[in-house]
Amino acid sequence: MGRTWQDMEAFEAFLDDGGIVEVDDHMPDEYRHAVFTFIEMHANSEYMGGLTERDWIPKTPGLRHKMSVLAKTQDEIGHGHLLYMVAADMGIKTRTEMIEDLMAGRSRFHNVFHYKAETWGDQVAIAFLVDAAALASQQAVFKNCSYGPYRRILKRIISEEGFHMRLGEDRMRRIAEGTQIQKDIFQGALDRWFWPALQLFGPDSKPDDKLLRWHIKSERNEVLRDKWVQKFVPMMHSYGFVVPASDLAYDEDTKKWDVGPIDWEPLKKTLAQGGPDSARRIREARDNWEATAWARRCLDGAAV
Amino acid sequence: MATYEVFLKKDGKDEYRHAGALDAANDELALVMARETYIRRAEGNRVWVVNREHLLMAGDDFISPNADKPHRHHDGAAVAARRKAAREADSSEAGNDE
Ligand SMILES: [Fe+2]
Ligand SMILES: [Fe+2]
Repeated sequence: MGRTWQDMEAFEAFLDDGGIVEVDDHMPDEYRHAVFTFIEMHANSEYMGGLTERDWIPKTPGLRHKMSVLAKTQDEIGHGHLLYMVAADMGIKTRTEMIEDLMAGRSRFHNVFHYKAETWGDQVAIAFLVDAAALASQQAVFKNCSYGPYRRILKRIISEEGFHMRLGEDRMRRIAEGTQIQKDIFQGALDRWFWPALQLFGPDSKPDDKLLRWHIKSERNEVLRDKWVQKFVPMMHSYGFVVPASDLAYDEDTKKWDVGPIDWEPLKKTLAQGGPDSARRIREARDNWEATAWARRCLDGAAV
Repeated sequence: MATYEVFLKKDGKDEYRHAGALDAANDELALVMARETYIRRAEGNRVWVVNREHLLMAGDDFISPNADKPHRHHDGAAVAARRKAAREADSSEAGNDE
């Protein structure tokens, strides 16, 4: 079963024509590996994001908020699960292998989950800035993604991510309408999260970016990043907060915000598991994985 | 552990649609997992969960003999052309009456 292409040229012509690849197609190895690595990193990030969210369940103020943090945690772990299923079907690593690699620090997850969320304000900033950035990247993949199973599962993930973003903005609204202490806490969180969220889009796409050539991504990193800046800078201003970019400038002619030069060093560090909170995050994820081994053993025992 | 495929349907005209897959230890847990993974926000009113081993699958190799069966289609072109000609004749007659 599945289709075969004579060579890479024929395969790329198929993709350029809007062709969608299915799991049992005989896709070129480079494509299979590139798509797999991309989905694996996405899955890892959802999983690590879910764990960050979980950290805040006991500390979330108010029952309603606590319930929505529970819901969001379940969503994020669920996103990880959906993506691990899609990735595992590609036949490169099993889900267990992917999780073990993640716990051993051998595979990557997004930069934003290498930082510490210090206050409830950080959780709000994450839901508002990071979920929005993740949503924008996912939408750009969904739009045109040539790998069918990934595209279809993204549809569901994106609709849930929208809930997170709306939740984030509403929490920010409450804080903006709150006391000075609340506002100060949130400004501190924005100062910590603005740059990591912006760096989530990555440095400018290279001209030979395979993910663009193979229609996995539909938009260049710098274009997505700029759209995010144009949307979120005015929004932060409208809620009365300061954008922590010392070179922030508005161009009257182009009607665009410019955040100035971006330091990519912090991003590089996180990709090498050297972010400010990487070691703790990975260690706690591993401890959690080991502490819940009994549940997986019970499930295995229930297998017929 | 077995892999299951999940299909959802909302009440109304829509057909069952594939939602995704999951791993579960047995059939009972597969249903619970399907609810918790795919139906948290009323994505469907009914669900089918099928062990992947029980799915019968085939692809183009199997289906392609049916691709070359023009006698199973009819484009109705000649009839449409005749109807169109008749309509035009009608309207030009109506035009002459004015
Ligand atoms: Fe997510
Ligand atoms: Fe999210």
